Amino acid sequence: MKVLETQAVTKQFGGLTAVNAVSMHINEGDIVGLIGPNGAGKTTLVNAIAGLNPPTSGEVLMFGERTTGKTPERMCRRGLSRTFQIPIPFPKMTVLENVMTAAVFGNKPGVIKDPMAHSRQMLEFVEFPIAEDTISEQLNTVQLKRLDLARALASRPKLLFLDELASGLSEGELKDIMSLIRKIQGQGITILMIEHIMQLIMSLCNRLVCIQFGTKIAEGSTEEVANDPKVTKAYLGDSADSCPPEPAPAESRPSEE
Amino acid sequence: MDPKNPINKLLDLLCFTPAGLLALVVLLVLPVVPPFNQEYLIRWLISAGLIASLSIGFDFTAGLINIVNFGYAAIMGLGGYTSAILADRLGLNPWFGMFMGALTAAILGLIIGAITLRLRGIFAACLAWFFGLALMGLATKMVWLTRGPLGMRVERLFDTASNVPYYYLILAMMVTVYVICKWVKRSRMGMAFNAIGQNMEAARTSGINPVFYRVSNFVLSCALAGWLGGFYAHFYGILTPDMMHTSKTVEILAVAYIGGRGSLWGGAAIAFPFILTMELVRSSLSNLPGLHLVIYGILLIVVMIYYPGGFAAFFDTHLRKPKNKVVNYFINGTAMENR
Repeated sequence: MKVLETQAVTKQFGGLTAVNAVSMHINEGDIVGLIGPNGAGKTTLVNAIAGLNPPTSGEVLMFGERTTGKTPERMCRRGLSRTFQIPIPFPKMTVLENVMTAAVFGNKPGVIKDPMAHSRQMLEFVEFPIAEDTISEQLNTVQLKRLDLARALASRPKLLFLDELASGLSEGELKDIMSLIRKIQGQGITILMIEHIMQLIMSLCNRLVCIQFGTKIAEGSTEEVANDPKVTKAYLGDSADSCPPEPAPAESRPSEE
Repeated sequence: MDPKNPINKLLDLLCFTPAGLLALVVLLVLPVVPPFNQEYLIRWLISAGLIASLSIGFDFTAGLINIVNFGYAAIMGLGGYTSAILADRLGLNPWFGMFMGALTAAILGLIIGAITLRLRGIFAACLAWFFGLALMGLATKMVWLTRGPLGMRVERLFDTASNVPYYYLILAMMVTVYVICKWVKRSRMGMAFNAIGQNMEAARTSGINPVFYRVSNFVLSCALAGWLGGFYAHFYGILTPDMMHTSKTVEILAVAYIGGRGSLWGGAAIAFPFILTMELVRSSLSNLPGLHLVIYGILLIVVMIYYPGGFAAFFDTHLRKPKNKVVNYFINGTAMENR
């Protein structure tokens, strides 16, 4: 079953076409990787689907229903949740309050009987490392990413967008994140992840969509896309052989804490 | 110090800490303590109480959802004029008129909010300001209704020459405004306000409809202003369009910001010493009108540079966590949430 389908989604900012007629789909239970060089329009596409920045033209269908241009809060209630590339939680709230906000407002009224217990469960699920009453301004990047993930999960999504969840993480943290993403998939949540780290993509995703300059250049199984000469070319330029793109060195470096 | 103690339960219900209660008691006995038992000082205290109440209502919008309502004084004026006109033309009881003032202000708040609160914060602030200017213009031009700049005479609430009953009334109104704002802030709705104010994108992706909550917040804060406007009208006994001027909003804004944005209690706490000082400055330098506005400006800049959180943030960081248990109880009470 198709959880999400986009039909020729286009997003223009003035004269600039950031996303150009991208059609793709996500099947239930999949982990789909959305890849492409920096500035290709990945986040713009995700924002257009999630409603933060509605598409200029084209259609978005979720579970077969047309959801083009629906506001993010409606998309959230329909079961779409997302994390942000640069996690920006509610800075003055505690960790628990952050997650509770999504638990209270992200679900239909009455579904979650005890938002506090539900939020604690979510924090436990993402293995949040420090005390729940910490004010979230005081967290570091790694903690923020986990908090953002817990917040995104608290509205009990069916489809989850992860925007560069693993960027800036160290080797060890990468392993943790990988098993965490598997655990989320195990809950029956379909995932679309924007990612640059090839190690992660190759081991997690079963399908890939690659876009460049706002246009989709490849879509298919991970193997297929990773070996597609057009994709390799997009990452490495003209003279490359047909080998899968290497991770960019800057992103696999351990993060400074 | 037991949270189940009835006194503590009551304090928690009213959202007061023991220190806050003490401050309130001090305010209650102030009119019988020299030198504050003189009528002109009581008038100053009343205007401080009014500004304090308004700053709570203003902070409810500015501090929680980050919308600066530059038309706040005009909306208060609308409430005042409504109440005054109803009392004057229809002979309506002023007590009831004050609530009608609140209702009118709420309706105007709903109209402004429904138009502007789909926009980003700065546009909403500008449009609220323009609405305020337009209201002031109307009050000036509709001479047949408001007597324009000549001023409209209004029936006073109490039939006494003394100002003391007004003082206790404004204190009661201040506590009411505070408790209403605090209750809403504690509720599910307050959670949404905080989320919207702190991070709009994350709030929306967490399922919060910003327009609904921003408009609700705006309407409540306008209603409170309208109610307080009714007090203004029936206390001063005369209404001129000047009371709706932006400089009045700035006065409220300055008190709310110096008191501490988002704290609700900060503005109320700072208003009394602040307004008294300002009145002193104004009366001793009466040959320099408008000087107090310059002082507001300078103080605002200083606060924004050195203490963006205002007095409340200063209090929270330096005084909120004393070692001594008794002092801690005194400052924080037993409630979990008392900020």
